[in-house]
Amino acid sequence: MNGLTSSRTRHSSYEDAQEYYMSDGMGDGLPVVPPTESMVQAMLDYAGLAPSDIIAEEGVRGVSFTAEKVAINAVMAGCKPEYMPVIVAAVLAVSERPFNFHANSTSTNGVSVLVIVSGDIAKQIGINSSTVAMGHGFRANATIGRAMGLIKINVYGSVPHGMDKSTFGHPGKYSFCFAESDDVIPWEPLRVEKGFKESDSTVTVFAANSPVQVNTQNESAPEDFLSIAADASIVLGERHSEFVLALSPELMNYIRTAGWTKQRIKEFMLERGTRTGRELNEKHRRITLYTGDDLDRRIPVVSSTDEITVVGAGGDAGPFAMLIGAWGDVISITKEIRT
Amino acid sequence: MTQENELITLDPRGGSMHENTGIAQRPGTLDGLVIGLLSNNKPNSELLLRDVANLVKKQYAVKDVVEANKGSHRIPAPAEMIAELADQCDVVIAATAE
Repeated sequence: MNGLTSSRTRHSSYEDAQEYYMSDGMGDGLPVVPPTESMVQAMLDYAGLAPSDIIAEEGVRGVSFTAEKVAINAVMAGCKPEYMPVIVAAVLAVSERPFNFHANSTSTNGVSVLVIVSGDIAKQIGINSSTVAMGHGFRANATIGRAMGLIKINVYGSVPHGMDKSTFGHPGKYSFCFAESDDVIPWEPLRVEKGFKESDSTVTVFAANSPVQVNTQNESAPEDFLSIAADASIVLGERHSEFVLALSPELMNYIRTAGWTKQRIKEFMLERGTRTGRELNEKHRRITLYTGDDLDRRIPVVSSTDEITVVGAGGDAGPFAMLIGAWGDVISITKEIRT
Repeated sequence: MTQENELITLDPRGGSMHENTGIAQRPGTLDGLVIGLLSNNKPNSELLLRDVANLVKKQYAVKDVVEANKGSHRIPAPAEMIAELADQCDVVIAATAE
């Protein structure tokens, strides 16, 4: 007896198994790897977990993320066992109260779990941070992100047309995971900024809206291309809780040459990505959001530089930035990946 | 014995550990009762709740109306607020609006 307590289903063929996991809201619409006992056990063994171990408990809905259920979904997503520690850390992170997992799993806003990995584990297990970092083609990115989506559906119960009320959703709900590129950043990596050691590896999770790519028009002065990014940040909408600004290696080179710090970038984005209360009121006919002194105050997309995360990622060629807004009343959470 | 091509797989689904408590018992009348209004702070939600309270007051001899605002539609009401409403009110009306 291996201690796996989930109910078993017998399928007469591989095709039957696929049909089974396509039914009853049990997946994300793509074929899955059928989670057999041996594959699930391999996932648990790699992470040194017993099936009944509770990785985390989420308070609002009262969901217990057992190692067994997390491992089953990781297998279904196509993960290798060595990805399991990243998924365990991400599950711990989304279960923290400030991440507000219940609300962002149910809201019409339609966010996904964005997983940003920082540290040596990214290279060790092949999480892409360079060309096509936020796209397809790399198993670790694709399946770690997908595992978080499947865990949200199957373990947490955020089934589309059920608990998941996303008005649109976005493609990142299938999978959204990339690594920060230590090779291109001229400053402390995300894990150190979040209070961990340079030698640690971490995951940081965001309740992510769809990414917005910003074409910086080949400008090379930081104040020029960041102005374009700051203008673009306005489309995220005011009263956001956080946003991520990912800068390509080409833009990072300009930043390095100009000697800008990460904090200066954040301050610039905060100051430039604004509209006055009066301008914002003009967009709202039914409600008045701003009155009094706020009418002439410039309202930023987020309220402080602490709510802006700047990372370096992407392919060498291309003057592009990527903006990713996070849903309101959510604080991104960083956890160490323990191997 | 399993047949060739046969697969045995595991169920990926979890569930809530919370007990299903069902719906609270409804009073037969609102006469003489204290009505709580719990806003989620969405724009106009307090306006809507007060309109509802005024409609209720036209039909019943309500003893009192207590207002509370949980601050955001995105988070649960604080436990102290729930306890206070439970202590003060016989019935609580929650609403959202935009």
